Amino acid sequence: MDWECCWSKEEIAPEECPYIGEGEEDLYGSHRRRVVEKCVECPRFKNDLARLKGSGHPLSEVIPYILTEFQEQKAQMGAMLSFLNSKTREIKFLREVGLVLQTSMDLDEVLSLAMTAITAGKGFGMNRAFLLMTDKERRNIRGYLGVGPRDYEEAWRTWEDIGRNNFSLKELAKNFQKTKLNSEKVKFHDILNQLTVPLSDQGHIFNRALLSKKPILVENALNNPDLDRGLARILGVDCFLVMPLISRSRRIGVIIADNCITHKPITLQDMQSLETFAFPVAFALERASLYERLQEEVDKQKLANLKMREQQELIVKMEKMALVGKITSSIAHSIRNPLMVIGGFARTLLKSTPVSDDKRSYLESIVRETRQLEDVLSEVLDYSESLFPVMDLWDLNELVATALADLAGTLEQAGIVWHLELAPELPMVQIDYKQISYCVKTIVSTGLSTMSKGGELRLETLVDGDGVLLRISDSGKLLSKKAQEALTAPFYQTQEMGAGVGLSLCKTILERQGNTLSITGRPGGGNTYSIRLLTRKENI
Amino acid sequence: MAKLLVVDDEPNIRLLYAQELSDEGYEVVTAASPHEAVQRLEADRFDLVVLDIKLKNESGIELLQRIVKERHTLPVILCSAFSCYKDDFSAWLADGYVVKSSDMQELKDEIRRVLAKKQKAAAAGTA
Repeated sequence: MDWECCWSKEEIAPEECPYIGEGEEDLYGSHRRRVVEKCVECPRFKNDLARLKGSGHPLSEVIPYILTEFQEQKAQMGAMLSFLNSKTREIKFLREVGLVLQTSMDLDEVLSLAMTAITAGKGFGMNRAFLLMTDKERRNIRGYLGVGPRDYEEAWRTWEDIGRNNFSLKELAKNFQKTKLNSEKVKFHDILNQLTVPLSDQGHIFNRALLSKKPILVENALNNPDLDRGLARILGVDCFLVMPLISRSRRIGVIIADNCITHKPITLQDMQSLETFAFPVAFALERASLYERLQEEVDKQKLANLKMREQQELIVKMEKMALVGKITSSIAHSIRNPLMVIGGFARTLLKSTPVSDDKRSYLESIVRETRQLEDVLSEVLDYSESLFPVMDLWDLNELVATALADLAGTLEQAGIVWHLELAPELPMVQIDYKQISYCVKTIVSTGLSTMSKGGELRLETLVDGDGVLLRISDSGKLLSKKAQEALTAPFYQTQEMGAGVGLSLCKTILERQGNTLSITGRPGGGNTYSIRLLTRKENI
Repeated sequence: MAKLLVVDDEPNIRLLYAQELSDEGYEVVTAASPHEAVQRLEADRFDLVVLDIKLKNESGIELLQRIVKERHTLPVILCSAFSCYKDDFSAWLADGYVVKSSDMQELKDEIRRVLAKKQKAAAAGTA
């Protein structure tokens, strides 16, 4: 009998079977495999079987049964194989993701990987996912991050990009973290803001999922009277999955996943796969959050240690300065009494020495030099006393007015005109009154020494941010930069100003209390001394 | 002639005070310690005391307190090498405060001021 199909031939030519495709050429010479893989489904073979049945051969009755059974078994095997293949892929994917999740301490890395795995085609292939996390106070569950396209255009663009680049999941996640995470954090701000739910609201779907520790698949939400339509309206989809994230019985948050673009149904298998994935994600999120909090605490501790070290250094410095102050004070007092005796007796002798006496000039020298030494001693003692300020709240306007009243006689004598411009409602400043008063008087005296007879002096107070500014401007000779610097270095001598500690002491006093002193020359002539005092102080 | 008691532990300073204040027309008696000062105050009548604060192992402030307590009409001028005591409230009991200087003009002015004030108060009391 001539058969239509090639099943009876050991070896065939290519034109004898149209069902053998490219890459299957070995089937031409392999009789058994050709029959099992091709002939059983070949329509020509079916025709041959029909012809065989007509011939009355006894086998022709049973062969169709065997063939049907064989085909069913083969189909089942194929389905099983496909299932196993998909599971193998899933296990591989979970292993790959799991490795990163187990080792990462970086919250952003965990988030990027988890959300990429849920939304990428190479992962679970959902269109969109939202992560909601419980807040630090564990009172609410709040929207934290949304990932996915907002519309069709964005979806196709993104998917095209992914298709072109053929990145692995890990690469996709890394790329996402680097280029998209920050923008995605704000992209779904409007939706995320509406997703805050108190943990105490036990009827809410998020809390139901967390309490039952099981995912909840919501379908046909907009038309189902038993479901909360609010959430579906916020998300803009009627089918979504709520996946609880629980780590060691702690409620970490939930993931909402949907197919807002393709509207592909979410299957039971999708749900099961995501459930397997949710555990390592929850654990990694918890660990990364804890690590982040730990880092914050470590940073705080470091800052506290740094501050403590600074305080310790300050204490040591203060102690050193206090010691220097004590020594200086002790030496100065030991010198003052003999100086007084020398100078005093020189004055007594001078009174009784006639003007014509040659030795009178010697006595005058002693009196003059002693006086100078006493002045230096007074400055040194003022300096050592300045190391121990008595801080209190004072009205700077009152201080300035009083200091100027004390100097009124001297100013009038020098023919100086002065102007007071005091800001109303000036905040109180925390200062050592005596020391700041000394500073004001010293600056006014310094200004005075640069002015010829008939100069002008202006004192202004004004609010300056968190402080108060006192500006003292004179119309005197413009000080050179060198002279300005010299004025604030102790015992530095300048041709313009002589030697002393006056302004240097002012600078020390002000800076020790966190305030500042600056000197600037005005282009039109004259100098401005600016004292900036803080209204509030840390412990100094 | 007003009679002054000068209390200072430095002999040269006592000598200087005595010389300068005598030239101003005052009768000057000196004491080297608070103990000696108390003896002088008990033995005689004074119009004013010029008192140093830091005396060898003793404090002029204690003597000041004793004078204020026992002779509240007797004025005291503190004369010290330390300007810081001016802000010490225990020194506020004194009628005047002068920082020691070879130029004794400030002390002389202060003595004149305090004595004039005392005289005025006495006149007001008798009137």
